This record gives sequence, C-alpha cells and structure tokens, in this order.
Amino acid sequence: MTDGDYDYLIKLLALGDSGVGKTTFLYRYTDNKFNPKFITTVGIDFREKRVVYTQTNPNGTTTGKTFKVHLQLWDTAGQERFRSLTTAFFRDAMGFLLMFDLTSQQSFLNVRNWMSQLQANAYCENPDIVLVGNKADLADQREVQEKQAKELADKYGIPYFETSAATGAEVDKSVITLLDLVMKRMEQCVDKPPADSANGNGATKLTDSQSSEKKCAC
Amino acid sequence: MPQPANMINVGFLSEAEQSFILEVLRRDEALRQAEEQRVRKLKTELLDIKRKGAKRGSGRYSEHSCGRCQEPLSRLSISSSQCQMCNHRVCRSCRTGLPGGSWLCSVCAKESDLKKMTGEWFYDQKVNRFSTMPGHDLVKVSLKKDPQSKKRETAGEMLLKSAEIKPDHPTPVPRARPKNPTENKGHQSNSSGSIASRESFESKEDVGSKPTHSDTESMENASISTKIDTESRHVTPEPPRRGVQPRHSSPDGSNVSSLTVPVKANTVMNDTTNTGANTATEVKPANPDLEVDRLFKKSIKRSPRPPGYVSSLDLRDGLGASEASMGNRSRSVPGLDVQEDGEEDEDIDSLVNFHKKTLASSSSNLQGSQSTLGSMMSIYSEAGDFDSAEVSGDIVFSLGYVEHTQSLQVFIKQCHGLAYGDTPRQLSNPYVKCYLLPDKSRQSKKKTSIKRNTVNPVYNETLKYSIGRSQLFTRSLLISVWHHGRLSKNTFLGEVEIPLDSRDLSSPYEERMALLPKASYAVPASSFVQNKGELVICLKYIPPKKPAAEKVKGKKDAAEEGGELHVLIKEAKNLSAMKPGDTSDSFVKGYLFPTKAKTTKRKTPVVKKNLNPHYDHTMVYKDLTLEQLKGMCLELTVWDKEAMSSNEFLGGVRLSSGKGTVKIGKEDVEMDSVGEEVSLWQKMMQYPDSWAEGTLPLRASMEKSKDK
Repeated sequence: MTDGDYDYLIKLLALGDSGVGKTTFLYRYTDNKFNPKFITTVGIDFREKRVVYTQTNPNGTTTGKTFKVHLQLWDTAGQERFRSLTTAFFRDAMGFLLMFDLTSQQSFLNVRNWMSQLQANAYCENPDIVLVGNKADLADQREVQEKQAKELADKYGIPYFETSAATGAEVDKSVITLLDLVMKRMEQCVDKPPADSANGNGATKLTDSQSSEKKCAC
Repeated sequence: MPQPANMINVGFLSEAEQSFILEVLRRDEALRQAEEQRVRKLKTELLDIKRKGAKRGSGRYSEHSCGRCQEPLSRLSISSSQCQMCNHRVCRSCRTGLPGGSWLCSVCAKESDLKKMTGEWFYDQKVNRFSTMPGHDLVKVSLKKDPQSKKRETAGEMLLKSAEIKPDHPTPVPRARPKNPTENKGHQSNSSGSIASRESFESKEDVGSKPTHSDTESMENASISTKIDTESRHVTPEPPRRGVQPRHSSPDGSNVSSLTVPVKANTVMNDTTNTGANTATEVKPANPDLEVDRLFKKSIKRSPRPPGYVSSLDLRDGLGASEASMGNRSRSVPGLDVQEDGEEDEDIDSLVNFHKKTLASSSSNLQGSQSTLGSMMSIYSEAGDFDSAEVSGDIVFSLGYVEHTQSLQVFIKQCHGLAYGDTPRQLSNPYVKCYLLPDKSRQSKKKTSIKRNTVNPVYNETLKYSIGRSQLFTRSLLISVWHHGRLSKNTFLGEVEIPLDSRDLSSPYEERMALLPKASYAVPASSFVQNKGELVICLKYIPPKKPAAEKVKGKKDAAEEGGELHVLIKEAKNLSAMKPGDTSDSFVKGYLFPTKAKTTKRKTPVVKKNLNPHYDHTMVYKDLTLEQLKGMCLELTVWDKEAMSSNEFLGGVRLSSGKGTVKIGKEDVEMDSVGEEVSLWQKMMQYPDSWAEGTLPLRASMEKSKDK
C-alpha cells in the first residue's frame, strides 16, 4: 500500500461522538465490508485507500486529467477520555468527515462542539468538512430528521450526507465529495495568481534594453 | 483549546492502549517514509525540467525567443506569451494549461504541481496557524531549531518519537553500557536512550510485526491486551528499576533505565506490545507525574526540580531532547539550525524556503535572507560542543582528479572499528558523507549508501564533484561518518578533513586516516569574512521637476512632490561560486528602509553562470525627498538563484549616511554603513541629477546590529 506510486497523499479524518459509526464507516469505505460489532477505537487508527481522482474545471466539466490519490483516513476515538489525543491529530488532516448518528439526537447536538473543536485544532479555521449522518438504514430508530441536519450543514456551509455503513449507501459519495473539496482547495491555494508580487506596480523602470523587470518567482 | 501535539498527554492510557496506538503510529511512519521518498523524487524531476533550456540571463537573449526552449517567438504572440508567474515569454510548446483556460510556463506549472503533490500547500497553511501558538513557541525556543524544519511533522510523528523514548527492550540480564567518556555531561543519556529505542523498533520491524490488520482484529487484540495489562499491574508493584543500576548518576535519579526485567504477563502479547507494558510496569504507579515523565522522556538528565513539577512541562522538555537527538548540539549553539539533525527534513525545508521565497512578501524575504545566513553557518555550528559520540576507528579512501570529466573523485573504500552509533545496542548503520568545503550547500553534499549493522562497513563507492582543477586548491574535503538513525536522527561517528591545496590528486592512492571527533577548531567568524566580491552601482537622485533651480537643497518643494532615487546595478565582480562548475546564477535584491509596506523590494533579473555578472538594471524609488533619504538605508544583496530551495546569499551592501538608526521591520537597526557605502550615499545626495558611481565590497553577512 505504501509504495509511493501515487500523485497525491490526502489525509482525511473522521470525527464525531463515540458509537456513531466512524470505524465501520471507514471500514465500509476502504474494504466495502460491514462489521456490526461495536468495538471502541483506541485513541486513533487509520485506514488507507487508493482512488483515482478526476480533475474538473471550475465549471464542473472534466479536464480529462486523472490522478492517483492515496487516501489516509484517520479514525479517531469518540470517547471523551481520548479527546486530548485525538484533537492533536486534527491538525494533520486536510479534510474532515464530521459524523453523527441519525438514531441519536445527542450525537447530532454534539456536532456543534465538534465543529468548534475543529475550528480550534485543524490546520486552518475553515477546513473542508463534510457532515455525515450515519446509520440511515435504521429508519425506525431515527431521531434526527434530514431537514434538521441539512439546516445545520447549510449554516456551516458544508455538504451533508446520510449514509449507512451497513448498506454502504452514500458512503463513497461523501468521502469523494470531501476529497473533491480538498483538491479544489489545493488548486486554489497554489494556482491563484501571485496576488502581491512585491515588486510589481510599475515603480521599477529600466534604463537599458531590457524593457521589463522579470517578476521572477524567487 | 488548541493543544500543541507535542504536549499530548498519554499518561492516562493503559499500557495496552499505548502499544496499540504505537502500532498505529508505526504504520503511519511507514506511510510517511514512502511519502518522503516520493516527495524527494518529485523534487528531482523539477530540477531536471529547470535545467533544460531556460534563458540564460548572461547570454544575449532577445524578447523574441522563448524563455524556456529558446525557440524564436512569432511576433504576433509576443504580447500574449508572458507566463503570469515568472513573466518569461514562452512559446506554445513550453506552456501548460490550467483548468480554467489560463496557462503557465512549464517550469512554473511544474512548480505549482509540486506544491500540490508534495502537500506543501497544506503544510504552509498549517505552519501559519500553529506557529503562533504559545506552546509551539516554547518548544521552538527549547529546541533552538528552525521551526520550518518541523513543518511537516505530524502529531503522529511527534507522538511516535516521544513513545520511542520508552525503554522497550526487555533484556533479562543487565548489560553494561559501554563506557562513554562524556557521561558526566548528562546529555549523553538522551541520545543513547533514543538510539536504543530506535534500534529495538528496527529489530521489531524485522521480526515482521505486520503493518496492517483489519480493524476487527486489532480491536480484539486491544481488548485482550487490556485485560493483560490490568493483570500485570497487579503483579508488578515492584520497586522501580530493579533491572539495572545506572552507571552514571543522574541528579534526581529519574533516568529510566533501558534495561529491565521482562514482565511475564506480557508474554502473550507480541513483541511490540511488550514495549508499552514494560515501561509502565517499571514505573511506580503511585507517582503519576513520574509515569508521564517516563513515557515521554528518554532517560534524560534533569536538573533537580521542585516537587509538584508539572508533567506536561516535562513532556516538552523530554521532547526537546528527543528532537535534538545528538544531545545538545543544537542547544549549545543557540539560534543555529542544526543541519545534521534535520537532514532527513532537509529537502522539505528547502522546499519550504523555496516556496516561501516564491510567494513571500518582502519582509519575509528579508527574514529568509537571515535564515540563509544561519544555515550557511550550520555546518560550523557542529563545531560546538559535541559530547555524544565517542569517535573511534578509521576510514580508507582515495582522492583523484579526472581531467577529462573535470571532476574530483572521492573513492570511499571502507571504515574500520567505528563507534557504535547506537551505544546500548552496540550497533551502527554507518554512511559516509562529504562536503567540498567551503561549499556547504546541497550540491556539495554527497553520501554513500548506508551499511546496516556493522562497524566495519565496506562501501567501495565513488563520490564525484564536478569542479575545475584550479578551484580545488581553495577547497578542502570534509569526510564524515554518520550512523543512520532510522527515525530521522543521525549520530556523528567521526570525520576527517583533507585540505586539497597540498594534495597530489593526479595519482590516487589509498589512504587510511583515523577518524576525529568534531573539529574543535574554533571556526572564527573571520573565516567567513572572506572576499565575497564587489558590487558596482550608480546612484542618482532626481529632484522633483518644479524647482529645477534649487540644486543642493530643495527641502520644502521636494516635500510636496518628491523626487526619485535611481539605483543602477551595473555589475558584480568575483562572486562566490555556489553551483557546480564554479558558477553562480545571481541576482541583486534591493530594499529601501524604512520600508513602506512591500513597495521597496526590487530585483534584477538573474544572470546565469557568471561570477562577474552584468546586470545593468535600474531600480527606481519614487516619492522621496532628500531629507527622507538622509534617514534611509538602501540594502542591496546578491543571491545565487536556487531552483528548488532557498537562494544562497552571496553578499550584500548597506548604503546610508552611516549614522543613526533605521526601522527595519519592527526593529531599530543601526545604519552601520562604512567607507564607500557612506561616501557613495552622500555623493548621491550632494549632487542630484548626476550619477554617483562606486565599487563596493560585498559584506559576507548582513547581520544587523540592533540599537539598544
């Protein structure tokens, strides 16, 4: 897995209350399997997956370019006792899967807290996040309505997905959406024209043949 | 609350939990290493592209040829052919389209690609955010290390490092540590401790603890071990450290011995899990403070501390020690980047610097220049006290010059009887590294392969330097031997320096030289005060047009409109060579202080492959009055343009009246101009509208003397 034959290493991290299904979600995503047993995550863990990412233009059309992306998906313990450990890993992730349990109102209420944890500990104040309501398959136990969650996601300006690690519904899509956000941000970070090329603005003149100063990127 | 990752407190975790996490961290480590390799490879690719074609500033190149491949450009396309990043005009085939329809020249495109693919874009942001954190600052201070070098460090990495300090090799019989002459300095214990754990980590890997297993498995594993750990806790309320009596006394006895009794409860667990359990069992459960210490510290020497000492502080302290593995070289030379320690990071650092330079504002550029100075000296910083390695053995090598390839060939044959880089484990993974001094840049650094687990490595490798023969006589070859610390820290095993001025290179002969400890020669600053060459410039002040009559002092009117200062950078002479082939690709950067925002940075184009470059470039500063100029300071620095890393400083001048202070950044800096620097500045002010020409010796350092 770790042979370096990829174009991008993208680090994502799943967070949320204990028992919302972060581990099984990631297990479903990477191995396409479901493990119904609940085994609490010890502190941190991660899984890996290779995906092919297709670059798109700003207008959404594909550029035809594809990249091999190696995903490192960090899984964090939701338990409070691991909190200091897990939050320390927030800063190393490029994007976040903020998960809650659709069958637990409390886990949804805590999304707010996780958001502020993220804002405080992630690499920047507004990192790329996808809100994930998991266990969509347990419709009869549902406590959080889609509308409610959607509103919250809109408030934060982040995408929202209702997934089921048990059936696999929307799992891939939510991760890929996050990856797309991260890749877009990356493009933006790097390709935005040099905003403040310090020696621009025409104050520099030339007396000799070279008619313009080279705004060399150095 | 933001919490620096290096202060993660894992004292609350059970041994089994710790070892489980450790296992995760090691998988992460493997991934990181693969990533590092990949990044390195990418970097090389960019260098290759950069070297191809590309306009040589020195040659006559016209605006009508492509800046990359030199093919002529069609007249029609000239106006639209400028790369928006570097402003070179390039032909169609040297462009790379971006999504969205715009394009960049192939080099700039590659550069931005690289920034993405290496993840630099991310680390840049991360660094911005966390460098301001108090905790981080503290660590920075305690490490005296360039924070940049840690930019890529992840929480996992730090945690792993700190975890490795745990004594983790259960050796039934206390094994005497080889005597280390420097024990009493105390720091020694750090490094050997870290090496010990590193080594055992290695051996564990060899045993083949598999890096991945399914969640389920690992979970189950974890729950089993939790059980065991509880047991073991009950079983072992033993006196601490009954394994070994440390041979060296440490002030408060907090040294963790790396040799302990195996704990029977652990036998079910694999080797790796042993690690954690073992540690904890030797810790008195009654003393949580200490426990945390031990988890995070190498057996570090501590000065006596008051009781109630906070454990999180300890942690930082311990980490500090672990970062600076070779003990305290970094501490002994405050402020200087420790190059060797950061070796594994070096490429990344330079990338960082490079990108910083690319996008930074003028003020950070200035800082960049200072840090470059720092790193230039780093190799000499190693001359500082160096108390960890007991150097022994010798090295067999030969030197020869091959005329037809114009290269110095350093044949490293073998070493005998090296010291153990990893003292407790009696192990060395040695490699040989050369610098062709005084050049300490990357181009000058050559390394052999690493030989595993031997103190008598046989290399039979040839390291080549492309260099003109005549140049050799001013050089000397520094051959050093290092133990490759698997987890980024290397241990110095000895070195020899061979001056090349008096050596017959025409007939290579094999030579055996005893390795020496880090040269204790105090490298005086004066050795840097060498001739850096000269800069020829002309200055002209053009007063505001209106009061043409007022020749000497047009204060009042000038204040209203302001004149212009023209700085013509004519040429430089005898610049230092920084690149292979004894050349430099230089450019001049100018700042006028006190600076208003970013507007005073000016640069000349780069003149390639020339130690006597003609820039003939004028920098213009507008809206200045004579009165203002009196209190201003013009700083011109010459740089070797480095494709993939920080530019190398070649020298500089500071023009001013030589009196008073000027604000540079937030500091009041003395205008320390001397001689010609002052007289030229005054001549310029005295005779407006006419060129004042002067030839200024380049300073070897732009060190600013702060006004107190």
